[in-house]
Amino acid sequence: MFEATELPLPPAPASKRRRRRRGSDESFPESLRVEPLVQGDASLGKLDDHVRNLSEAKPPRSWYVALAITSLVGLIGVTAVGYMVYEGIGTMGNNVPVVWGFLIINFVFWVGIGHAGTLISVILYLFRQRWRNAISRTAEAVTVFAFVCAMMFPAVHVGRPWLPHWLFAYPNERRLWVNFRSPLIWDVCAVVTYFSVSVLFWYLGLIPDFASLRSRVKSKVKRAVFGFMSLGWVGNARQWLHYEKAYLLLAGLTTTLALSVHSIVSMDFASSMVPGWHMTIFPPYFVVGAAFSGFAGVVLVFAFVRTAMKLENYITMRHMDLLNRTVLFLSCVMTYAYLMEGFTAWFSSDSFNRYIFANYVFGDQWWAGSLTIFFNCVLPQLLWFPKFRRSVPVMVLVSAGVTLGMWLERYTIIVLSLHRDYLPSSWGTYLPTPIDFAILLGSVGIFLTLLLLFLRKMPIIATWEVKADIVHYQTHPSGPMEAEHA
Amino acid sequence: MPESHEFPPEALEPLEPPSEAEPVSRRRFLSLVAASAALAATSACEAAPADTIVPYTKKPTDVIPGVADYYASTYQEGLVPYGVLVKAREGRPIHIDGNNEHPVFKGKTSLRAQAEIIGLYDPDRLRRPLLAGEPASWKEADARVVDALKEAAPHGKGVLLLTPAVISPTRQAVIDDLKKALPGLEHVAWEPALGLTEREASETLYGEGLAPRYRVDRARVIAGFEADFLGTMGNAVEAVSGFAQNRKLAKPGDPMSRLYCFESRMSITGSKADVRVPVRPSGAARLAFAVARALHDEHGIPLPAGLPLEALNPFGLDAVARRYGVDEALLGSLVDDLAGARGESLVLAGPSLPMEAHAAVALLNTMLDAEGHTVDAAFSPDVPTLATPARMADLTRAIASDTYAAVVFWQTNPSYAVPDAEAFNRALAGVPLKISLGLRKDETARRCDVVLPINHWLESWNDYEPSTDLLSLQQPLIRPLYETRQAEEILLGWANALAAGAEAETDYRTYLMARWKREVYPAGTLATFQQFWVAAVHDGVLRRDATPRSPRMLRASAVTEAAGKVAGMDAASGPSGTVELLLEPDLRMWDGRYAEIGWLQELPDPITKVSWGNFLAVSVADAKKLGLADGDLVSVAAGARSVTLPALVQRGQAQGTVFTVLGYGREGSVSGERGANLFPLVADDGSEPFFRPAARLSRASGNQALVRSQTEFTTHGRDIAPVWSLEEYAKNARPPKEDRSLPTLNPNLEWGDHKWGMAIDLSACIGCSACQIACQSENNIPVVGPEQVARGRIMHWIRSDVYYEGPADNPQVAHSLMLCQQCDDAPCEPVCPVAATVHSKDGLNEQVYNRCIGVRYCAANCPYMVRRFNFFDYTSFITDPLDLAFNPEVTVRPRGVMEKCTFCVQRIRNGVQIAKDEGRPVHDGDIVPACAVACPAEAIVFGDLKDPQSRVSKLSRSDRGYKVLEDLGTRPAITYMTELRNPPEVPGKKSHV
Repeated sequence: MFEATELPLPPAPASKRRRRRRGSDESFPESLRVEPLVQGDASLGKLDDHVRNLSEAKPPRSWYVALAITSLVGLIGVTAVGYMVYEGIGTMGNNVPVVWGFLIINFVFWVGIGHAGTLISVILYLFRQRWRNAISRTAEAVTVFAFVCAMMFPAVHVGRPWLPHWLFAYPNERRLWVNFRSPLIWDVCAVVTYFSVSVLFWYLGLIPDFASLRSRVKSKVKRAVFGFMSLGWVGNARQWLHYEKAYLLLAGLTTTLALSVHSIVSMDFASSMVPGWHMTIFPPYFVVGAAFSGFAGVVLVFAFVRTAMKLENYITMRHMDLLNRTVLFLSCVMTYAYLMEGFTAWFSSDSFNRYIFANYVFGDQWWAGSLTIFFNCVLPQLLWFPKFRRSVPVMVLVSAGVTLGMWLERYTIIVLSLHRDYLPSSWGTYLPTPIDFAILLGSVGIFLTLLLLFLRKMPIIATWEVKADIVHYQTHPSGPMEAEHA
Repeated sequence: MPESHEFPPEALEPLEPPSEAEPVSRRRFLSLVAASAALAATSACEAAPADTIVPYTKKPTDVIPGVADYYASTYQEGLVPYGVLVKAREGRPIHIDGNNEHPVFKGKTSLRAQAEIIGLYDPDRLRRPLLAGEPASWKEADARVVDALKEAAPHGKGVLLLTPAVISPTRQAVIDDLKKALPGLEHVAWEPALGLTEREASETLYGEGLAPRYRVDRARVIAGFEADFLGTMGNAVEAVSGFAQNRKLAKPGDPMSRLYCFESRMSITGSKADVRVPVRPSGAARLAFAVARALHDEHGIPLPAGLPLEALNPFGLDAVARRYGVDEALLGSLVDDLAGARGESLVLAGPSLPMEAHAAVALLNTMLDAEGHTVDAAFSPDVPTLATPARMADLTRAIASDTYAAVVFWQTNPSYAVPDAEAFNRALAGVPLKISLGLRKDETARRCDVVLPINHWLESWNDYEPSTDLLSLQQPLIRPLYETRQAEEILLGWANALAAGAEAETDYRTYLMARWKREVYPAGTLATFQQFWVAAVHDGVLRRDATPRSPRMLRASAVTEAAGKVAGMDAASGPSGTVELLLEPDLRMWDGRYAEIGWLQELPDPITKVSWGNFLAVSVADAKKLGLADGDLVSVAAGARSVTLPALVQRGQAQGTVFTVLGYGREGSVSGERGANLFPLVADDGSEPFFRPAARLSRASGNQALVRSQTEFTTHGRDIAPVWSLEEYAKNARPPKEDRSLPTLNPNLEWGDHKWGMAIDLSACIGCSACQIACQSENNIPVVGPEQVARGRIMHWIRSDVYYEGPADNPQVAHSLMLCQQCDDAPCEPVCPVAATVHSKDGLNEQVYNRCIGVRYCAANCPYMVRRFNFFDYTSFITDPLDLAFNPEVTVRPRGVMEKCTFCVQRIRNGVQIAKDEGRPVHDGDIVPACAVACPAEAIVFGDLKDPQSRVSKLSRSDRGYKVLEDLGTRPAITYMTELRNPPEVPGKKSHV
């Protein structure tokens, strides 16, 4: 429906033209004027051409090289998992007392990364933040792929990985039922629900774009595939009406899930009695941590994607600035959470708790706790400076730091809490093996492989949403868009 | 199953569960006669695998599938014949406990004896004779040996027979028979690690070669000088049980023994001492003489007749105390305590100490009227003379000078266990015929021309004489698994073949019975010999009338001589830069004979928690001086030889001393490369063999991580293993009340007919770890190997934790047994996603292996960290036929599942079922878990908490009872009783505790 409209876009950032807002004659104050979310030579047709071309044209050589590398790394990880499943958990560093190791750390880590997309997409959608439009699709993809990685871990970390289905409550001839008192069951439910709703939400957003692709592609096979995937979308008003409603409802549902899933993951720890785990602050703290690592992950992805795929006009520095502001905000919340956690440990007067928190930063693995604080609390403070928020190297540095820092945070929580709990006679150390590292790297490889495939095979920008922005700027060249969403 | 014939149709009289002592019924007797006849018949056609495996469609006599049989037997180790009770299932021995009928052992046995089950099924056992390393038939082997021995006789060359201590009268008779047929036979009995035995000390000091029994149970005051009598010295099983009796106080004010330990290294005994004084071993004799002198001077206790007071002049208490840095007030209180407990005190000297120290200790015991009371030699048997290391060096020279036409090694391994093994092996190479009679192809057997596989003791007959009023019998539990012969039969066969014409008995059982009929069966007994014999075999022991010996008289001259020698010695330790080295047998490896037994290799040392190897214990101060950390390699040299091994910085080790254990560094499939062989440091030049006063210690390059099951040894101020002095006990004793569990929001659980619980008296527990081996045997716990242990994956369901508190040079040690607490509000249960760990109606925290998928959340949430995970398929570590040692009543866990202590649920269910079958309630004591049966200190009591009169209920209400981490609200079913110490009140000194 937008294809026909070809109005010229104003040269937005440089423009001094003032347009009246909502029909008012008053000129919009200079100080409140914001950068538009679409820049440069963007038009509805160009957007379509650009985004669609990415999935239609033959990818460049560098894409194949990158894909080869990531899939090789992923393959190494899968091989390591295969070896581990064949030989036993003992091939990894786990022991008694550190019964949970890299696999659970990785699980929590990827679930955290998986918060980025949905949170950005859904919560910003509900808050009418239009800047989400250009980044939501890829962010959601990050969620889905991160969850693919995350869900691999609980399945293979069990001692008998051929029986993970026993974690599901399903009627069976053995008349066995799961133990609903176990946080792991809540966890299974939460993660599986969140994953399916995330996929659904992602897919829902893709429908108009699939339909658009269907209309463009030449290949009959592709047309059939996209035709099937667009579920008979023709883009009439009636469909749009239902669609928007469904999207809103699903966004609402997903929001609650986005908040609940990591709360529930945190209950794996919080509802236990391990010192360092048994904390009421854990659910909100984990959600914030997840969003934090998720935003950092998304910054990392976009820092590369926007230049590599020449999307600077749609994913502007303003987007990056806004993302980085969120990272900074969440870093401050994390710092507060860490402080509260430490305070609670001290205030509890519980010697075990006090010991374990001191142990995080002063114990034999002091580096884990200390680096966590450095990466998550200190390093992101760079983002107070607007210059750094718009500097790709700095944001890559900070986001990479946060990603690493959040992984280390989970390491600290899981390994450092377990290795010195109640009875000193049982204290132990944890030494990860090459298998541990191979599986961790492999998950990164799988994630990046999926991401690369997505970037070249699917519409990576929700064009139908960005088109609305384009139309807006065509009609309101300098007006702020955020407040006007219908 | 490879070439084993495991089901013996000749199974002898099974013992009913030990409580019953019923006479032999006529029916049983008849069946026994038949079985004996069958045995006699079948044993004639030797080693023929005649039996085909037949399913149990026809039930063998006396074997009810699924019901265990118990047979009494005897296991010899060194000079101690342990009376044991062996549990057999479907004809296979699977578990060893002490023999209840045995008046000394009273149902307890050593952890090494328990682990011998693995020795029986050791895959490395020899299965047929070897001639020059090649498998051969017995016929060929016999011919080879007999021909050679016949050759040897006319040439006047001797034949050397090297054996362990022979304490079996009938075995001695066999050797005597062989001597008759082979006059050139020279028999040398030798125990490589025993040190200065009681017999030798007694020979020198009393003029009688007797090994007295130490009645620790009768002693109110005990003083030990390097005497680890609760660990590796003498009959530790009896000592532990006697010691524990006087440590389990029911209420404040009850009498409690007091233990003084003067020792350089931290021993098990030292860890339980009320007063532990770290002192160099060289100071022991002086200190003991000084105490004797003070007893005389301050308390007027007369010296034995003939001992001039002047002999003790050089030993002023204050001077000696100053010289060795010992608190004089503590010594004073020892003197007072000893003087106040005449006839009820016991002073002991360790086997590594020189004769002078033993003389001083003998003097003390004589002055304190211990002889005849706590030192009981009234029924001491005649103990054979044992070869010393110096004698072994002489023997090496004799072998080298071509004295012997043949040497026969009977279960001895001198190629490993002599100080100068290199010289010995060189000498050995020149002997024309070298014969080894043993279970395995050990270091010596590898150098032998003829290797003859012998029966394991669980496949053998024998008798032992623990004391003159007691005989102890060994009977086979299983037909020999392989083409082996009992060693005595081999010797009898040789004697027969050599003494041409005479057809003597070669069946050892018949030989044994004949000797018993001749020499043991009392004339005029109403029972026939057959009845008499069957009863003795059934009980495993035979009490006899014997006239007690008159008390030994100390030879004053020997003491005078010793005192003079000590006074003449330079009191300072050796040349500067040297350390005093003490060598002792290892609690698990002993002299190396158990090196192939995985259970024992993996069992952590109770004091250091090191397994799979030995180490050199260095004091904290010396380690600081040398810059040593745990695992740093050090080289320790004594005499001309040196050994490199990892160091361990040991709290409580006396400065200027080092300590290590023998028995490691064997070359075998289990023991290979583990630990260092310390025999090279044993002196064989006639000086003190196991105490080297001038050893040189230097740092070697490199590092070898110690394999430890525990790495943190302080409680960090956590109230998990409290220790009270008696005053604190009086102050802290809690008023007994029914239930002292904390308030909880959880509903109170409803129990069925029973609520099982346990009480552990840490005052009695010495940390010896016998419970761990018993549990391993009962519950099929795998051995995981050093790499896995180092990774923190040891599988023991019960473990003995050890904590050190206080100053590093002399800390207080607390042992704490830790096993599944069977919590009422078990933290493991709610977190299991598949409900694989659940609570039973009788209070057990159950683990359902079939359902477990191994998420390990339960282990993470267990505050006691007692859950064990199968990180690998540990059953695949088991090689044929070790699987025969499995207890069929306990599931063998696959990989990927969690396991933990079950309170021996199989025994509980069995006990309840038997009571139900008999239509009676379960009596207290009917059901005893393996750990509690094995505990020589009887520190573990199990029973029904629903029965208020049960022992466990009473103990759970003890005024010194506590539950570990009870503030967490887990409501454990195990009550611990606070460890008590009884330190003397020393004026001006803070109490030791």
